[in-house]
Amino acid sequence: MEPQTSAIRITSLAKLYGKVTAVENLSLEVRPGRIFGFLGPNGSGKSTTIGCLTGLLDPTAGKIEILGQPFDAENAAIKKRIGVMPETLGLFDPLYAHEFLAFVGRMFGLNELTTRKRVTELLDALELTDTAKTLAEYSTGMRKRVAFAAAVIHSPEVLFLDEPFESIDPAGVSLMKQWLRRFTDQGRTVFMTTHVLETVERVCHDVAIITKPGKLVWQGDVTVLANDGVLQFNGQEFTALEPLFLHLTGERYKDLDWL
Amino acid sequence: MNLELIGNLIRLRYKLLWANTRTRNGKIALFFAGYLLLVMVVALLAAGGLGAGMAAVRSGHGTPLAGALLTGIFLQGLLASVVLGFGMTVVFSETELRRYPLKARERRLTRHFIGIADPFWILFFALDLGLAFGLYLFGAGSFWYGLLAVLLLFVCNYMGARVLAMLVERLTSKRFGSMVMLGALMTLGFLPALLGPVLQKNKALAAEVIRLWWTTPPAAAGVAMTHTDLSVLSAFGVIALWAVALIAVLVALERWPRKTAVAQSAKIVWEDRMDRLAAVFGPRTGPLVAHWMRFYFRNNRFRTIYPLALPLTAFLLFFFTRQARGGGPFSGGPFPVVLGVFGILGFVGTGQFAVNQLGYLGGGFRRFLLLPTDPAAAFRAGSYMFICLAGALILPGAILFAVFAPIPTSAAMLAMLVGFSLTSLFLVHGVALWTSLLSPRRGKYAQSFGNDLSFAGNIVIIGGMAVLLFGPRGLAKIWPEAVSPLYWWATPLLALAAAGFYFASLRSASTLFRLRREQLMALFEGRG
Repeated sequence: MEPQTSAIRITSLAKLYGKVTAVENLSLEVRPGRIFGFLGPNGSGKSTTIGCLTGLLDPTAGKIEILGQPFDAENAAIKKRIGVMPETLGLFDPLYAHEFLAFVGRMFGLNELTTRKRVTELLDALELTDTAKTLAEYSTGMRKRVAFAAAVIHSPEVLFLDEPFESIDPAGVSLMKQWLRRFTDQGRTVFMTTHVLETVERVCHDVAIITKPGKLVWQGDVTVLANDGVLQFNGQEFTALEPLFLHLTGERYKDLDWL
Repeated sequence: MNLELIGNLIRLRYKLLWANTRTRNGKIALFFAGYLLLVMVVALLAAGGLGAGMAAVRSGHGTPLAGALLTGIFLQGLLASVVLGFGMTVVFSETELRRYPLKARERRLTRHFIGIADPFWILFFALDLGLAFGLYLFGAGSFWYGLLAVLLLFVCNYMGARVLAMLVERLTSKRFGSMVMLGALMTLGFLPALLGPVLQKNKALAAEVIRLWWTTPPAAAGVAMTHTDLSVLSAFGVIALWAVALIAVLVALERWPRKTAVAQSAKIVWEDRMDRLAAVFGPRTGPLVAHWMRFYFRNNRFRTIYPLALPLTAFLLFFFTRQARGGGPFSGGPFPVVLGVFGILGFVGTGQFAVNQLGYLGGGFRRFLLLPTDPAAAFRAGSYMFICLAGALILPGAILFAVFAPIPTSAAMLAMLVGFSLTSLFLVHGVALWTSLLSPRRGKYAQSFGNDLSFAGNIVIIGGMAVLLFGPRGLAKIWPEAVSPLYWWATPLLALAAAGFYFASLRSASTLFRLRREQLMALFEGRG
């Protein structure tokens, strides 16, 4: 059998909401064992792309392959091998964290014993020990931790994280980064969106930048920055991700005299 | 008092209503049609009130009759709002209003101004006003006194409903609150029937009850509408006193702090009753059914309404079979009435939730789409749960009926009742699948009161109840054999047909679920 060359392959992906184009002819590839940063300004189609990649949304056109197999919303076998932390966390508020995680674990095919063991470990590791509160009573950061735990409980091969570090305290972020690195060290893949470019530089191996409407404008390896390397675009060199991002997505200056 | 800001917020409530309509394709026409209908109903109710006023004056007992009519309207207002949730929707919560530069008193005023301007309350206002105008036209009172009495009574009615709703909400949030509530409702339901004979025998007690009744807001409003002498002053005093007292109680209740959860570690329970019950559905569907049970059994409304299903059926049986025996609109024998009530038993505990099954999930809806199952599996599992819970009431209902039946019962009758109940169970839950997908509404899970259903959802539930209450009786008149126990075998056949409809719906609705899931996700997450 031929070795798998890409964990995620998107070919000419398009998503239209009526007449509005959210993603336009997007093609990219994510190699296995990499942390892939998917960047773009607000409303550029990042979450829509993740939605298509995880079966939440149906693409209008294009092809998606995950772990070497064609993927759509009906493909339960692939869904079992991926983990998703969506932007809208998708929690059931009246449940307790352990109930929610146990439900997700069971649905992903874990047996009862493994489910209980993993839920206990995750609750402990993510400091979700306030078990007397329902998810509705949790703070935003705690809800985010629960959503992260739900994404990883079945030990997926590809992990999709939409804005994973938002609202999480620095200790939690540091812990998650460690896990992500260990995760990819085992040959698994992470596909994540975030607006925190410093984090991307430190955590991600590869980065893709899209602009409105979901159009790929740059893709490359950002690990070169750690070795004092530069990022290149049209012959121009950038020593950090931020100037490249601003260059590609358009710098905006507006005088607000009254502010 | 920042009246400008309060006015802006009230205007915003109506702008939101309009915007909500505008964003839904094809709903603008329905919105206008709905409001035209509302205006017509208001006019009709006002005319009804006017007619009642005329009748009251002509009968020569204007004051007690007006008081009795107003009491009826007042109680209907309380019941419809507290039990059915009409006119109790909170558009802006206290937390939402805190974003604006408003003081506590202004926030409270804003919430209640918006609440009282709900179309539901306007209907009751129209009825009261129609009565006052009718009494004035026939020279029984002053127009201005009548108007003032209507306004004060209207405030009392709204405040009374809010106070009652808050008390019930506080009660049902307690561990055994729903049971206490159930007992209270049953007592209230049976009280008139039990009290009637006692009052007939004990004249002194009856006189005391009537004396107390005169001190209630509707009776006092009746006095104010039919008099122009000094007694009007004391009547206004009584209503104003009630209004002030109710406002004070409401403010106290709103200020009464709720018990908030404190951080603590509790012992984790891994497998509870719901998991064990749902295990019969197998390892794939079982966790989904258990999830839905957990989800709905933690909902205050569900926890109140589901256990109430059997007592409510008993009450309906008791009430309507008495009427059927005594002639009137339910003449034609009690059995068709019993049949209709058993039809209601098929969905009364779960129907309100089944017709908008996904409406309370919010962002949780997308979690179902991420699970490695057929996307509609979760939807089907929810429906199985409703069918099982509603079905679980039918046999105990039939047994209880056989034991306490108000009419002579045979095995054929019981078979017919069970068959008919199963028919309505499958039929309504089959239709509920379609309303959940085609006419869903984003509901507020934590809200104990309020009518969260869409127009179609209301039609199914309220229309279903009305059809079952009056349909069999009407059928008995034109085709008596159709509701005769002699042909009991027809209802199991009907139940089979209804089950066929349900399973066919389940299959087709699964396809529709897949097609509509993006729209549903947007709606439940508040983007559609």
